[in-house]
Amino acid sequence: MTDDLMVQFLSEGRELVASAEHDLASLARRPDDAGALDGCFRAIHTLKGSAGLFDLRPMSLMLHAAEDLLTLLRAERTGVAEDFEALFSVVDTVDRWLDALDRTGVLPADADLAGESETRRLRALVASVSAATDTAARTAPTSWRPPQAFDGLGATAVRYTPRADSYFSGDDPIAIVAAMPGLAGLQVSPREAWGGLEDYDPYACNLVLEAVSTAGRSEVEAAFRFVAGQIEVVDLTAEETVPAPEQGARKTLRIDAERVDRLAALAGDLIIAKNGLADLAAQAEGLPGGQALGQALRARQVQLDRLVGDLHATVGKVRLVALGPLFARFHRLAREIARSLDKTVSLEVEGGDVEVDKTIVDGLFEPLLHVLRNAIDHGVEPADVRARAGKPAAASIRFTARAVADQVVIEVRDDGAGIDPAGIRALAVQRGVLTRDTADRLDDQASIDLIFTPGFSSASEVSAVSGRGVGMDVVRDAAQKLGGKVIVDSRVGKGATVRFILPVTMVLTKVMVVTCGEERYGLALDTVVETVRVPTERIVPVRAGRAFQLRDAVVPLVSLGDLVGAVASGHRPSERVVVARARGELVGFSVDAIVDRMDATVRPMTGLLAGAPGVMGATLLADGAVLMVLDPAELVL
Amino acid sequence: MTVLNDGPIIRLRGVCRVEDAEPLTALLQGVSDSTLDLSMCEGLHAAVVQAILAFRPTIVGLPDDPFLRDRLLPALTGGRPSDVSRP
Repeated sequence: MTDDLMVQFLSEGRELVASAEHDLASLARRPDDAGALDGCFRAIHTLKGSAGLFDLRPMSLMLHAAEDLLTLLRAERTGVAEDFEALFSVVDTVDRWLDALDRTGVLPADADLAGESETRRLRALVASVSAATDTAARTAPTSWRPPQAFDGLGATAVRYTPRADSYFSGDDPIAIVAAMPGLAGLQVSPREAWGGLEDYDPYACNLVLEAVSTAGRSEVEAAFRFVAGQIEVVDLTAEETVPAPEQGARKTLRIDAERVDRLAALAGDLIIAKNGLADLAAQAEGLPGGQALGQALRARQVQLDRLVGDLHATVGKVRLVALGPLFARFHRLAREIARSLDKTVSLEVEGGDVEVDKTIVDGLFEPLLHVLRNAIDHGVEPADVRARAGKPAAASIRFTARAVADQVVIEVRDDGAGIDPAGIRALAVQRGVLTRDTADRLDDQASIDLIFTPGFSSASEVSAVSGRGVGMDVVRDAAQKLGGKVIVDSRVGKGATVRFILPVTMVLTKVMVVTCGEERYGLALDTVVETVRVPTERIVPVRAGRAFQLRDAVVPLVSLGDLVGAVASGHRPSERVVVARARGELVGFSVDAIVDRMDATVRPMTGLLAGAPGVMGATLLADGAVLMVLDPAELVL
Repeated sequence: MTVLNDGPIIRLRGVCRVEDAEPLTALLQGVSDSTLDLSMCEGLHAAVVQAILAFRPTIVGLPDDPFLRDRLLPALTGGRPSDVSRP
């Protein structure tokens, strides 16, 4: 029970941290953003409440102090950079503690001390804000109550009473209201009763305009800045929604990811069970007098096909989650990495609402972190170099996501030094990855792609942050495991962009089923180029291996049975060969027979076989047997 | 010329500016039960709006401008769309 609660606290906690961070970032830019201030208050308030459910005293105390500061800022609206920095630091600390709770189940050892220091810093700010506002003149609270008709129409209501000489001074109060952002409702009435209309003065302004807007207070006030003394503004959202969370706004249901995974696995198995029906229909049709039964079976199979396809797609959509929370985790990490390297970066995130399969979100954290580290460590120049190049002191790193058809494109773009192709070539030669000749023949894009070569690390000196001998090959492998790819664009002096192109959902993989000895194996069909039968006498030994001629090319031939350790079959007059493309080169795999082609959901191997080289995953066959699906490209490494 | 007196109907055409408030007031003061056609109206100055509010003519015709049609007109007719009909 407690475990369930903790799991929920961790996942909600991360969302609240992300939302508070987002609001604080807005406040750092616009300290008078009332919406962001309210949002931040709600997040901190909810976090504090949740922390109270567990024995997390340092967290509760620190959040309590943060809430006090926010309460004061909301009442007086005098937030300054120092306030927001302190609050940022609190949110970062909570984020770190959540990570620790996730890993170890307890707060880190220094939590008491760290929490106390944060709390002291907040208390000092609370004291200074209170002192400042005691002397400052307070704005007179408005006595105006917005009309009931405005309920639920927007966030901010305004009452605008133009002066009687407004028309003479050139104001058009209607135009001013029309220009207000997010206008959602308007009421026009006379300021004073009309009296006798025979004396009506068309040039004496006698209007009261009441309007409601979906925009925040500050935007509304900005629209009326030239007539600021003539308006009264009321926040419609502030009073009732804080501290109560948005009731009814949430139409989502929090479901344990494992249950969804189980559902997806069942839907996947159903596809395979359905595949068996086609076989059965064919068999029935072959029986004497079975024609009608076979056709009926086939008709049912077609129907089932469609339903199962729909089910699979729908389950796939259940698994879609927004990228926002993943992106949000990088704000703190970017600040920490930059601080450790004595650099300043500003991380911007766009497209956090793009949804992709949960597996992809889960699998992206490590590679994105790696790319982020690389960008800050190797991409972003030291402060003096940036200054000389006329770039802003804070480097900009942008995470963006956008959906393109059934793919999602995720980019990490920095405005650093970019990747120098000549430098990469020189390093590659120096590290023995390439010969001088080969290196000189490479064009710039191909040179940049060298950073994906295993063992290649472009840092000319190993740093504590990213130069740990782990190259970008890890990033490329991760992208490929998720069914996608990664490319790098770079402009020297302007910056680099690492672009992931990934499927939105985990798709059905087309698999070719082959046999070697007694065993059946799957080969991912997207790597298979063609299948050929090669007479044994056309196979020639080449050094330790064998090769055969395929039209005008010589293709190396390997026995799949040898690779997977299957029992070798005896001599045959000709070989069945599956020609596949592995790392850009054609390779022939000799097999005993090609049995089938099928669509399958290939699941990664778990347990002991998780890291087995050349194994992409496994899928279930119609008869319930497990089929190992091999990746030819990895097999011949 | 944006205020047109077309027999029993007063038509507002194009963008009505502050100086249109006076001729409109004169026309509205002349008849007890006037009709105002806004179908060709593209913009109303507050002084013109105020005259309409004061004299409450029957409004016909829907302007194309979304602000006029969806925000201002309902405010002038008390939100009763039945007050506004196509001429």
